Amino acid sequence: MNRFLPRHAWDRTLAIILIALLVAFCTLIPGFYAGFGGTLAITDQFLPFGFVAIGLAVVILTGGIDLSVGAIASLSAVIMAILTKSGGLDIWLAAVLALIIGAILGWLNGIVITSLRVEPLIATLATSFIYTSVATALAGASPPYGFGKPFGVLGNGTIALVLPVQLLMFIGIAIGFSILITRTGFGRRIVMVGYNRDAAHYAGVAVPGLLRKVYAISGFMAAFAGIVLASYYDAVRPDMGNILLLTAITMVVLGGVSIFGGEGGILGVTLGVLILGVLRQGMLIAGFSDMVTTMLTGAILLVSIAAKNLLSDRGFGYGALLLRLINSRKQEATPPNT
Amino acid sequence: MKSITKTLLLASALCSLAGIAPAHAQDKRIKVAMVPKLIGLSVFKANEKGAIAAAKKLNIQFLYTGPVTASAQGQVDIINSLIARRFNVITITSNNPTQPAPALERAMKQGIKVVSYDSDVAPDARDFFIQNTSYPAMGKAMVDSVEQYAGPDAKVAILSSTPDAAIQNAWLGAVKTYMTAHFPKMTIVTTQYGESSPSKSLSAGLNILQAYPDVTAIIAPDGAAEVGAAAAVKKLGRTGKVFVTGASDPDSIRQYVKDGIIKASPLWNEVKEGELVMNVARLAADNKLKPNDTFTVKGLGTYAVKNKVIVFSKPLVFTAANIDQYHF
Repeated sequence: MNRFLPRHAWDRTLAIILIALLVAFCTLIPGFYAGFGGTLAITDQFLPFGFVAIGLAVVILTGGIDLSVGAIASLSAVIMAILTKSGGLDIWLAAVLALIIGAILGWLNGIVITSLRVEPLIATLATSFIYTSVATALAGASPPYGFGKPFGVLGNGTIALVLPVQLLMFIGIAIGFSILITRTGFGRRIVMVGYNRDAAHYAGVAVPGLLRKVYAISGFMAAFAGIVLASYYDAVRPDMGNILLLTAITMVVLGGVSIFGGEGGILGVTLGVLILGVLRQGMLIAGFSDMVTTMLTGAILLVSIAAKNLLSDRGFGYGALLLRLINSRKQEATPPNT
Repeated sequence: MKSITKTLLLASALCSLAGIAPAHAQDKRIKVAMVPKLIGLSVFKANEKGAIAAAKKLNIQFLYTGPVTASAQGQVDIINSLIARRFNVITITSNNPTQPAPALERAMKQGIKVVSYDSDVAPDARDFFIQNTSYPAMGKAMVDSVEQYAGPDAKVAILSSTPDAAIQNAWLGAVKTYMTAHFPKMTIVTTQYGESSPSKSLSAGLNILQAYPDVTAIIAPDGAAEVGAAAAVKKLGRTGKVFVTGASDPDSIRQYVKDGIIKASPLWNEVKEGELVMNVARLAADNKLKPNDTFTVKGLGTYAVKNKVIVFSKPLVFTAANIDQYHF
């Protein structure tokens, strides 16, 4: 594919920004560099967003959106907590069941979208209301908390004293999803559906079935984030997933995934997650208020979408116009009789 | 490497020296943060106002910082940043008792003192808790207000914040206990939730009035809920037929108090409470407060510490007669 701004350039820019941020924060902000392990531990505070972002990226690659990720995260975590606290189930078994439930909730989103022909935006908005209400009803007046030390390892633990468990899981999942998207037929069909749904359809891709799987993946990752949050806070709440959605979308878009689908990769999303997370935590440690960091998140979302669209080689982006201009110049420059 | 070790040893020696020299502790400037449930809410601003005034006198470098929305996760992010910035004391009114607890425990492990006020966190996750006012007194004040204006056989609706809000549930528990003990004919017909959001509280208030036309009083123990309930009464023209009481700052309910929708609404002096929070922070940082203790603060009075809990004051009931004396 001919791109004015190839994906590698976007990823490379993000990598440079991330390194610059880390260097700047470590040298300029007292308290940010708290030993190798101390600084790595900062990732515990934002990687749940990253788990959601990776699942969401797959949906956005198909040109869809999943607004119910926060609600699925809350509901799965609440169900897990109830299964173990009231049902007496082993916490790890409850967590596995919650992951399956998350995937089923996502799959239901896919059913609503493909079988009832509801726009993804509206479908997942509607299911997010439903899932949140169910979570609130289940959680009741005193949501469960206190899941024991071993379970806390998921959200707060380290391996070899300095490597956060969350970070290791995130790296593993990112590599897995990257292979899924770039190296498998399933992954290529996902990108193809996003790039041109009709073409994919005529090329023999069973689009509805594929979309259902994609939303199930997103639901699964959202549930995973919910479980990690439950471990991190050692508590569940029916509204604990609320804050995940907008930041996760920002991470995906910052990572270079086109909001219209068909463009982008998991490496970029991974970098987007790290940049946004490190930036927010660093600014908080530097003493900026939550108001400033929230405003900045909004600004980054705008700038990255605008940059992506303006530089895009599709449609009427400046990138596409510029490409056409360069191409037409080239043709003019070539003498006709050779 | 050696010099670093030496410096560290020296520093820790100095630190321990500072620890065993309480006579000079008051001179040491400390950093104290106040973390409200969210920034921009007037009751918490009133705490800040009092805290700033007290911080000046107590040699405290003061920071007021909180999340943009009432989220416990946002508070955890802020707690983590305060730990990294080595604050001496974190004071917090928590969005829920459980979620911020692990972060606060982490802070305590690093020698940071934690003082909760207004809404408590899990007792293991703080050194002291400043309770606004005793729960039974608050419940009594609200029920008495209902009895006085809507009668002892009033049909009461409750409009609270969220089903698991710690302080609201404590008050409502006190309301029910006092009500059944003293006014057995008074009944609670419904309990609804406005999630501390003005718009959701208004629509919940409208729901109550439309679904239960025989309701004569609404108890709304939450700033947004009381305003929402009063606005709903006004909107449906039920002034004089339905009385609202609850817990809100005087600025927000002034208009409804003057309209006669709210006749008596208990709270406490938020500005003075902010002063007390800073005084307790100073005492905690200097290790001068025991879990069971008494102490005196100039201009505020003498307080008893019982099992790490300090009750700030008796309820202050706002009425049309006194509300103009209070601005927060």
